[in-house]
Amino acid sequence: MIRVARAELLKLRTTPGPWVVLGVAVALTALGVLTSFVNGNGHHGPTFRAPQTEADLRNLVGSGYQAALLMAPILGVLCITAEYRHKVITTTLLNTPRREVVLLGKGVAAVLWAVLMGIASVVVVAAMGLPWLSALHGSVSALLHQVAPVVPGLFADFALLALFGLGIGILVRNQVAGVLLTIGGTFLLEPLIYALFSHLLHIRLNWLPSLAAASVAGGLNPGNGVGRYLLTWWAGALVLLAWGVGPAIIGYFTTFRRDVT
Amino acid sequence: MTATPAARGLPVEIRGLTKNFGRVRAVQGLDFTVQPGRVTGFLGPNGAGKTTTLRMLLGLVSPTSGSATIAGRRYRDLHLPLHQVGAVLEATSFHPSRRARSHLKMIALAGGIDFSRIDTVLELVGLSADAKRKVGAFSMGMRQRLELAGALLGDPGVLVLDEPSNGLDPQGMAWLREFLRHLAREGRTVLVSSHLLAEMSQTVDDVVIVAQGQLRAQGPLTSLIGNTTQSAMRVRTPEGDRLQALVHSAGVRSRREAADVVVVEGVTPENLGPILARYQIVTYELSHQGSNLEDLFLSLTAGLGYGATVPPDARTPQGPPGGPGAPVGQPAAAATPSTPAPATMPAPAPAPAPQPPAAPPSARPPTPEQPPGAAPS
Repeated sequence: MIRVARAELLKLRTTPGPWVVLGVAVALTALGVLTSFVNGNGHHGPTFRAPQTEADLRNLVGSGYQAALLMAPILGVLCITAEYRHKVITTTLLNTPRREVVLLGKGVAAVLWAVLMGIASVVVVAAMGLPWLSALHGSVSALLHQVAPVVPGLFADFALLALFGLGIGILVRNQVAGVLLTIGGTFLLEPLIYALFSHLLHIRLNWLPSLAAASVAGGLNPGNGVGRYLLTWWAGALVLLAWGVGPAIIGYFTTFRRDVT
Repeated sequence: MTATPAARGLPVEIRGLTKNFGRVRAVQGLDFTVQPGRVTGFLGPNGAGKTTTLRMLLGLVSPTSGSATIAGRRYRDLHLPLHQVGAVLEATSFHPSRRARSHLKMIALAGGIDFSRIDTVLELVGLSADAKRKVGAFSMGMRQRLELAGALLGDPGVLVLDEPSNGLDPQGMAWLREFLRHLAREGRTVLVSSHLLAEMSQTVDDVVIVAQGQLRAQGPLTSLIGNTTQSAMRVRTPEGDRLQALVHSAGVRSRREAADVVVVEGVTPENLGPILARYQIVTYELSHQGSNLEDLFLSLTAGLGYGATVPPDARTPQGPPGGPGAPVGQPAAAATPSTPAPATMPAPAPAPAPQPPAAPPSARPPTPEQPPGAAPS
């Protein structure tokens, strides 16, 4: 199992896809940091202010949240669909014929790479946010107080959403379809479903992946005023865990055990 | 490469193996055994079920029924399988952006193989200088060799190769042939499928021939060829009628391929040549249509895989050149490459020479069973 996980990590390290995903996650985090400091638009362009409230400081620490929502599932999708796309799955299954071990190895590798993305996002926040906050006379100590409530949950978001993507990838197997489904699901389908249920039936679907992820990461504000409907962090963690492993388990018992012809 | 004790050959056993893809029966009740220390060719037309069988053996495809085992165990039940079985299935199973060395490192890591083997196998397949190149820049032949390097990483006792010579140049094919023979001499079990029959005939000890998912023949190549087909002589002569009458009177079958070409079946150059000389039959050309793997293959898979019709202009009056068992519609495939006539072939008789008397009914040319010296006077 450890051998397989190490081999899967090596696969990630030796192809450009996961590095591109990491790079985009860093860029999205930087954008998130920038957004946290924007105060509004003045005559000469945007104006900036130091985040003051607890919620704003949490959002600054959790600037990698959007990256987690988008790039972690894409990483998971790539982990498995690249194998089918390039037929490396044949080599993988010859090396490790027990498919449940392959799946576990991929899961471990995806989680570790996703946590690396989480660490990178925190580093970006530290590198950009701390000096900028000082420059704008904000409270660095207040910011540091938000690290403990946010960062572990943010790492969990990256990890579990990568597993979610892995499950999606196992189910669809096609790389383009998997990536499009992830992007479309996060930014189109999920908000649409939430809005429909919220407005028509007055039901708050706070167990959808992005909202569960927001609750895990210390109650980040996912926007659109839904922050007050978030689950508690532990309930969110359980829900996100279900999103993470559910599709993978379904995929294992359906598509992943199929013949490789 | 020396076979370590762990790398000794293991028998591969296929028992009652059946695979249905929906309504399609890809493999039906296949039974055969592959022995260590021998190169076994796994042959069959397109769609015969070869690749499906190999994939079932390697745990990639689940059998509908039956079993495919290595030393009595399923592939998925082998502990560290790469140490026991190496497989080459397709030369396209690489990530194009990954370097050759990284590809092998990935296999070694998953297979519990020491990294020091990577340089050994790269050198074996002649890719040491290309180890740091991305596989996407490799030619088909280089990919095939890299695939073979991956199969050899664990120094396995069993090698399963599906069309390993695809994309190899003539030097590469010659190298592969010698390499497989070398592996078998070390005591390893080598099972190799290929469409290149001429190449296989120079490589394999045993053959397993399948068609439409069923076993058609299995055994040592030499005995199968001897049992199934027989040789024939092709004689180009202006005295075709006389030659046919002569051999007919001896109970030997012949057929006319063209106005001046007679094919005499069941004879060899050694017993037909002296007869032509004795009866002074003018001969322009004498060639041996010896039996080979291709004849055997075509006779066992006749009419499978291709249409049963042939354009009228491709027909010969007496049937296809490969004999009655050859599938029509493959014009040249059934024809055996001509063997030059032996140096002892009688010189063509001078044209104005008087015709010898017709052979008396008792004067029978030797049958294939008769030694040349036993020819009637």
